[in-house]
Amino acid sequence: MTDPRARLGAIFGLGVLVLCLEGALPLALLAAGPTLAVLLHPRTAGWRLRFLGGVALLAWTTALSQGLFWADWPRTPLLVLSTDPNIVISREGVTHGLVQSLRFVALTAAGVWVALTTAPDRLVAALLAVRVPFGIALMGATALRFVPLVGAELWAVREARARRGRPAWARSPWAWLRLEVSLLRPVVARALRRARALAESLETRGFHPTAPRAVREPLRMNAGDIVGLGVVATIVTAAVFARGLYGLYGAELYYTPALRPLYAFVRAWM
Amino acid sequence: MIALAAAGYRYPAGTAVGPVDLRVAPGELVLLTGPTGCGKSTVLRLAAGILQRHGHGVVTGAVTLGDRDPASLIAADRVRTLGFVGQDPDDAVVAATCAAEIAFGAESAGWAPDRIEARVTTLLHRLGLAARADRAPSALSGGQRQRLVIGAALVAGAGALLLDEPLSQLDPEGAHAVMALLRELADDGVAVLCVEHRLEIAMPYAHRTLLMDAGRIVADPVSDAGALRARGLAGPMVRELEERTGGTRWRVRADTVTHASVASDVSLRSASSRPISGVIHAANLSFAWPGEPRCVTDVSLDIQAGERVALVGANGAGKSTLLGLVAGRLRPARGAVRATGRVVEVPQNPDLALFCETVHAELAYGPVEARRSPADVAATVARAAAALSVADLLHRPPQALSRGQRLRTAVAAALACAPRLLVMDEPTSGQDRDQVDRMLAALPDALPGGAVLFASHDLDVVLRHATRVIVLDAGRIVADGPPLATLLAAETRGLPLPLPPLARVCAALGVPYAAPEQLAAWLEAE
Repeated sequence: MTDPRARLGAIFGLGVLVLCLEGALPLALLAAGPTLAVLLHPRTAGWRLRFLGGVALLAWTTALSQGLFWADWPRTPLLVLSTDPNIVISREGVTHGLVQSLRFVALTAAGVWVALTTAPDRLVAALLAVRVPFGIALMGATALRFVPLVGAELWAVREARARRGRPAWARSPWAWLRLEVSLLRPVVARALRRARALAESLETRGFHPTAPRAVREPLRMNAGDIVGLGVVATIVTAAVFARGLYGLYGAELYYTPALRPLYAFVRAWM
Repeated sequence: MIALAAAGYRYPAGTAVGPVDLRVAPGELVLLTGPTGCGKSTVLRLAAGILQRHGHGVVTGAVTLGDRDPASLIAADRVRTLGFVGQDPDDAVVAATCAAEIAFGAESAGWAPDRIEARVTTLLHRLGLAARADRAPSALSGGQRQRLVIGAALVAGAGALLLDEPLSQLDPEGAHAVMALLRELADDGVAVLCVEHRLEIAMPYAHRTLLMDAGRIVADPVSDAGALRARGLAGPMVRELEERTGGTRWRVRADTVTHASVASDVSLRSASSRPISGVIHAANLSFAWPGEPRCVTDVSLDIQAGERVALVGANGAGKSTLLGLVAGRLRPARGAVRATGRVVEVPQNPDLALFCETVHAELAYGPVEARRSPADVAATVARAAAALSVADLLHRPPQALSRGQRLRTAVAAALACAPRLLVMDEPTSGQDRDQVDRMLAALPDALPGGAVLFASHDLDVVLRHATRVIVLDAGRIVADGPPLATLLAAETRGLPLPLPPLARVCAALGVPYAAPEQLAAWLEAE
């Protein structure tokens, strides 16, 4: 897919699809697609490792916290941490946490992939095409563009501090935390200065958040975009119908024996 | 026409700029200069109508662009009337490609796609960026990026162009190219008002230079270089020499200088033959950024105690990367750096080195982390603050200071760490000559037994303050030696480092590089 509108459409479809799926395995397969796409994008090995680490951390912490605090029944102990008081990590909680985190990972990875592969101005054009006001579209795309810059600046501040002496680890945790937070000060100040410069640039170049604008390169969907969107729309529609019919069956509102293979499919794969 | 009539601005804190009377006619390129903090940028923002619309202070007087008040223009009319270029082109960029960046203003003006495309193509050719239409602005050199934002500001045919220090981050060649473009635009009928410190390069292109001090215009036009020097600014120094000597008898000799004769004793080499001693020894350093060709290739250098080494070269020559390698910020792909003491780096953007609540805390950070006694910390802070003239700012938050004060604070904080080698990337950027002179002149005393390595585009500063110059080209050292002879040698080799005209005069006369007044005295004595 090359047209940013098709990509936004695909993300929207993915959002609906992850809500239709409740099984950890299908969600893991779904999340693997965009995650793999992000990992295949030309970046440094360190960046890929950090991304993968972030994904793993998200899945692990969500699963663990849900496993610990799962309040529903049944509650099958996976690991007993204490018998008095009774603290267990439950299988159902872990599964629920895993499902939530996989939904989040799938959408985040897809968003990251779109951000990595779509020029900000194309993204703005796509958002305008779906009736997002220009001010908000530009703000979103600009914020996206500055994320890596802010990260690099934070790194530069840390480096500059290290050159003047690494903070002693023996100090109190509170003092250490204050010192770490202080690293944000120059980054925030720099961001404010940059925001002012950018605002002046936009202001004098005729920017107005709600004024009508011309577009130099009007967006055009090619055959691949249309086919891709069609495939996504078909899968999402099928998933919504299947989940809907299964829901009606579960609530004992509608049942027909002809749909038994569908019920079985939803139970096993969705 | 840009016209300010008794225009002034009073900031909420009480600082006032103006009243200012100023007129720039169509076809005129006017420079506005003055000491740091005198109100030049305020005047520029008044002329653009920015302060009238968004400032919290009080505006007085009248501003007109053509026959219109810039404050009352609707968005689409603004881009058709005025172009504004801020200090840092990176911060002004809104699009992902050069073509899209230029198109932004025309899109705001509501032009049809075909007309936008035609205008973008024309401008890209004129700016010399046609081959880079689809490249990211960040992939351009500093000079190219500055030309890009100028083109982007003028895309909708604005008749007035306002620029805030467009040369501050450019190498000499890039700076000349930008000034030539501004002159070309003026010749086409655009009224150009440009705030600038680098007058040696900018003044020959301008029709007029205005001098500001303490919020008012004190000379229009500047008629003698002495007025500039009195305010810590450097104008065309050869002209000042002419004024001081009352003639140009010496010019005959200056015009006949041959670079080769002066530069013959400079070794053009990789510096690996130097003895392994001193403050730092770097051997065979190589480094490449991911996805880019090699940025620093097989560089070796030694720096001895007491040296002030200037690293010069065109934008993209690898200066900042080499500084990062020497400072230990970057890890070389090949080679090694051995330091005999602490190396502290002041980054290109000094703001990123200021993370404490007050200037005092900033200066005390290094000594405190080195676990020195409170008395020692206090003495070190006092020494560093005095050396860099920030003693009266100790209790202020560093982020609230002016640009020059922030740079001096960052350098003072680095000095307080008692480095053996102080590394600075472009310490002259955006500073007037007086500020730079005071800062660099303080370093030898503030750094006993240490050395300084700094990168700069300002060859006048390099010639006055460095004891040694290293010329970098495409990631390799191509010349290394005494400043004047080394820069002459580099120019002879066709490197894009146009020497200040006064340097050529000094070389011809066979004297070390000196300020016009010293040179005038020497000529008088001769």
